[in-house]
Amino acid sequence: MSIAPLIEIRNLVKRYDTHTVLGGIDLDLAVGEIKVVMGPSGCGKSTLLRCLNRLVEPSSGVIRFRGEDICAPTADVRALRQRIGFVFQQFALYRHLSVLDNVTLALRKLRGIPRTQAEQLALHQLDRLDMADHRHKYPAQISGGQKQRVAIARALAMEPAVVLFDEPTSALDPVLSREVAALINRLHEEQVTMLCVTHDLALAQDIAEQVLFLDQGVICAQDSVARLASDHESPQVRAFFGRADNL
Amino acid sequence: MNDWAAFSRDLLQQWPLILAGLGQTLKLTTLVSVTGLLGGIVVFALGLSPYALVRRGVAGYISFLIGMPLVVLLFLMYYGLPQWGLHWSPFAVAVLGFTLNVAAYNAAYLRTAYNGLDPQELEAARAQGYSQYQVVRLIILPQVLRLSVPALTNQVILNLKDSTLAFLIQYTEFFGRMQELASTNFQFFKAYLLAALVYLALVSVIVVAARQLERQLLLPGGTR
Amino acid sequence: MTFFDIVLRLAHGCGYTLLVTLTCSATGVSTGLLLAGLRQLSGPRVALLLDVYTYLFRGVPVLVLLFLVYFGLPSLGLKAPPLLAMVLSLGLIAGAYLGEVFRGALGSVDAAETLAGLAMGMTRRQVFTAIELPQMLRFAVPGMVNEFTTVLKYSPFAYTVGLPEVTQEAMALVATTHRGIEIYLALGLIYFGIFRALLVLIRWLERRYQIPGMVPA
Repeated sequence: MSIAPLIEIRNLVKRYDTHTVLGGIDLDLAVGEIKVVMGPSGCGKSTLLRCLNRLVEPSSGVIRFRGEDICAPTADVRALRQRIGFVFQQFALYRHLSVLDNVTLALRKLRGIPRTQAEQLALHQLDRLDMADHRHKYPAQISGGQKQRVAIARALAMEPAVVLFDEPTSALDPVLSREVAALINRLHEEQVTMLCVTHDLALAQDIAEQVLFLDQGVICAQDSVARLASDHESPQVRAFFGRADNL
Repeated sequence: MNDWAAFSRDLLQQWPLILAGLGQTLKLTTLVSVTGLLGGIVVFALGLSPYALVRRGVAGYISFLIGMPLVVLLFLMYYGLPQWGLHWSPFAVAVLGFTLNVAAYNAAYLRTAYNGLDPQELEAARAQGYSQYQVVRLIILPQVLRLSVPALTNQVILNLKDSTLAFLIQYTEFFGRMQELASTNFQFFKAYLLAALVYLALVSVIVVAARQLERQLLLPGGTR
Repeated sequence: MTFFDIVLRLAHGCGYTLLVTLTCSATGVSTGLLLAGLRQLSGPRVALLLDVYTYLFRGVPVLVLLFLVYFGLPSLGLKAPPLLAMVLSLGLIAGAYLGEVFRGALGSVDAAETLAGLAMGMTRRQVFTAIELPQMLRFAVPGMVNEFTTVLKYSPFAYTVGLPEVTQEAMALVATTHRGIEIYLALGLIYFGIFRALLVLIRWLERRYQIPGMVPA
């Protein structure tokens, strides 16, 4: 049995011209684990996620996925992306496709699974997320929370090794945000490996014991939200997490 | 290379005629661009009439003239009217035919821009007590014309290119002259290529002028 | 000969008019799709070439290009039959305009959806055909209607290269009967009829493939 983490990030740097977005990130994610990265907007959270499936190319450093360097010249980017589920901030559902086809598209186009079989697989995922009844609707006809669940079903249908969440609650109201937290917890119980970036403190507290605090491109703290809010030496960190009490 | 020599000799020989043809082309284009714009404004304004019958007539006019090819309109007037004893010159037919056609297109562009206006603004103007005529002249037209500048200048380019149609009713414009040049020495390819290049150059001039105009007329904060 | 007889006589040429309009429109759509697709899927050097094509074909009058192709090319040893000459002039010009229509419509496709496709592991081409193209075609309908109308409007040029389409029929009829007014009026009505029928067909197609709630981003 392997004890190596699923994802290993070492000294990851991303620079745009002179501006450094990520200044040396180290992070491990084990199978079945959930990690939450928090930080103010513009701290590099989204860039970090996008480096993991190479939607953004890292400037330097190493990212290993199952022990293999994803930036190696021999690495197959598309195969990597098929192993990584990505849930976008605004969900990015394909507007011209029904809920069902949003989920079957990748199965059909990337796995070459025949339509009927793909639809069965998709329905299974939609059912798991209580969206099977809405399968014939189009994205414009469902609510934000429902879109979120379709986006998650779309990611899970490919049976990814890990699901990345980019600000999963930023487009939702507080009640729906709680539902997302419950959903993520359920997936966690089902052993889905997840990495979530957010600036929603309530969500972070609900889904993870510990959070990583990313500021100005470096991870500068790792602890529970409560301790970061009260005990951390940096006043900025305390201030950021202190907002939890005001919620 | 002998062809080239023959071609350029004939070109030089017929140069005055060709140049005159170019003048005719520019005259027709400029004239119908102006009359077409004025006509378009009138048709557009009539389309805002409180009378449903007028509005319906305007909609029918626009639809019919956009649906009927300009060539057919020109033929109707040039080859049809003599049946009633009306023998108009090619130029008169071209000017009237183009004006009727271009006005319909311009009115349609203005209408599209009008549909994008903020209805509250127009309501506010009516509430202030402006007459319908004043609302159109003071509030609607200035905005709608500005918004339509790209479409209207594009229509000028179309007018230039469509002016070649006038050659089909014996109007001796530039393309007609190039046609004559081609038939004197049978160097069709060279003559038409030259014609194409001249039109491209003229279009380029209009494009540059249109950009200047657009920049000057840009309303601050206007995003539409 | 009543007005109705005239319309019936002219209707004979409608087949060719429709043929010209449809082949040139189809050429225009395929060319436009090719232009838009190439622009989307390849680099800046190709984009420059596409710009040149667009500029040239939008800058030359249809009639000039038609004559260049039909009467000019034979001197280079290339002889195009009339319908092909229409396709190579009117069709390619329509393609340049439609390329711009499609390019604008592509701008209405949400960039996040394109990114989501890539993040799934699709190739750029798969993203184009499965996500961008189906949306773009729907957003492009108004522009396409304009361009088809333009193609219909220029289809009478086919008579200048000897295609027996409806304008040709009308001219022949005028030459023998000298009833230009009725005949050209009937001709105008026939074109208008084709134009309206085209609109109805497109509206029907549009409704048939309409996606509820999908509007340009």
